Amino acid sequence: MRPSRASQTLLFLALCAFTVVNLTPIIWAFMTSIKLPVDAFSVPPKLIFTPTFEFHYQVWVEKQFWQFLINSAIIAVSVVCISVPIGTMAAFALSRMRGSGSRGILFGLLAMRMFPHILLAIPFFVLAQWLNLIDTFPAMIMALVAINQPFTIWMMRSFFMDVPLELDEAARIDGCNLWQVFYQVALPVVRPGLWITCLFSLLLAYNEFLFALVLTGPNTKTLPVAIAEYGAEDLNYWSLSAAAAIGIMLPIVLFMMALQRHLVRGLAFGAVKG
Amino acid sequence: MQTQRGLWLFLVPSGLVISLVLLYPLGYAIYLSFFNYYLGGQPPTFIGFGNYVALFGDERFWGSIGKTVLIVAGAVGLEFVLGLAVAFGLYKLTFGVKPLNLLMFLPHIVTPVVAALFLRWIFTGRWGLLDAIIMSFNIFPPDWLGTPGWARFTVILADAWQFTPFMILVLYAGLNTVDNSQIESAQMDGAGNWTILTKIMVPAIKPLILFVLAIRIMDAFRFFDQIYVLTAGGPGTATETLTMYTYALAFRLLEIGKASALGVMTLLLSALTIGLLILVLYRRDKGAF
Repeated sequence: MRPSRASQTLLFLALCAFTVVNLTPIIWAFMTSIKLPVDAFSVPPKLIFTPTFEFHYQVWVEKQFWQFLINSAIIAVSVVCISVPIGTMAAFALSRMRGSGSRGILFGLLAMRMFPHILLAIPFFVLAQWLNLIDTFPAMIMALVAINQPFTIWMMRSFFMDVPLELDEAARIDGCNLWQVFYQVALPVVRPGLWITCLFSLLLAYNEFLFALVLTGPNTKTLPVAIAEYGAEDLNYWSLSAAAAIGIMLPIVLFMMALQRHLVRGLAFGAVKG
Repeated sequence: MQTQRGLWLFLVPSGLVISLVLLYPLGYAIYLSFFNYYLGGQPPTFIGFGNYVALFGDERFWGSIGKTVLIVAGAVGLEFVLGLAVAFGLYKLTFGVKPLNLLMFLPHIVTPVVAALFLRWIFTGRWGLLDAIIMSFNIFPPDWLGTPGWARFTVILADAWQFTPFMILVLYAGLNTVDNSQIESAQMDGAGNWTILTKIMVPAIKPLILFVLAIRIMDAFRFFDQIYVLTAGGPGTATETLTMYTYALAFRLLEIGKASALGVMTLLLSALTIGLLILVLYRRDKGAF
């Protein structure tokens, strides 16, 4: 049965309509960010106006959102640099272990992914206060590294599973010790997977809100907390926060383009939303 | 075996981090849930199950369970139905699938806080896009974020906006794995799209559906960012889910002990929900064979 051209066109139009409705909030925010308040508050909404990028400049430079970007970058990059190496090591071990021990650990990791984050936020806050670590980078970084472990391990394990065991054995016969098998034989094979895991972990850390809300302060505030707190101080508030929001979204869109072929695998293991 | 023993060493760094930063705080939270502990007040006093007993007598607790169930069921249900419909549409479409798929996916990848702001600018009274459109037809719009019923509806829509693309992506990938010969022979027998979707394709990808529903329910249970930005649990407590109530207890009222008890209950409840889901769906599976 060949689908008729008319029904195909109809289907295409229906899906286009769905997509347009879906993207409206993003388009609307972008338009708000390049509108003067006079145009932004008109009823019915104005679609034709003189665009201005003044608000983008103001919010990132004059309102100093660049500082929060730096904080976010420090945290996200540190998380990746700690979380991915240790998670990759564990993943290698779990992909090579025989017996029920590794199954138990993997199931435990999956269960940890289920923890309500709010339940962890409470002891994090109490402990960080006790250790005088509120509003410091290490507290936030370690919290996110830990949260990230189940994802990193499951993801990297799925890549290591694709590496044939014969490769390990051949290397062993050539006299490699276990570390060399991991570092010089298996790791180069999974390098593409390693980059994908890094990018997803970066995204996860960049998007995180609850722990950042609880653990960061004036010196370490990340972009999501900054934008959520940004209040109506002046008339241009809407345009300014829209400009900031669009700016926060931009690097993510770039990531997505880099990652589009690997989205299903990453999302299945719970990337992006922790 | 030497090799197998050596492998355990690879688990040490990650194991240490998980024990110290995940398991120890979790244990500490459970420990705190047995104490009467106000942050910055008196030193904590042990009260056994006092916090749990207090919660069981707390109307706000039962209310928040109801709202959590309503919002989780509403959001995940909407996402699944819409996601399956769109995924099937994409499956049927013979051209332009890739760009559509990519564009559709965009809302999912936006930072949740930013996504909530985007939606707030749609739903805000008077100045939001939706109100502006409705008012230009001279109709007076409802207060989307200010009346209890509409606020819950808006929160469900917000969750659906971000997670329907996830459903579409996963279900579309799943539909493409279904054996083609079965579908073709059903088409020969004159089965329509609806029959093919519900009688052949959905049963074929049941494990995937179970998996994706479990993941979504789990995440919706603890969803925080969007509600915090959109309604902060309000108006009143209209959109106060378990997570929002726990946050309010811990970080607004500083009742650390009671909040910990509530967090533990949330963990148990979400585990119970997932367990039931798996049980029911597997039981049905077995009955079918």
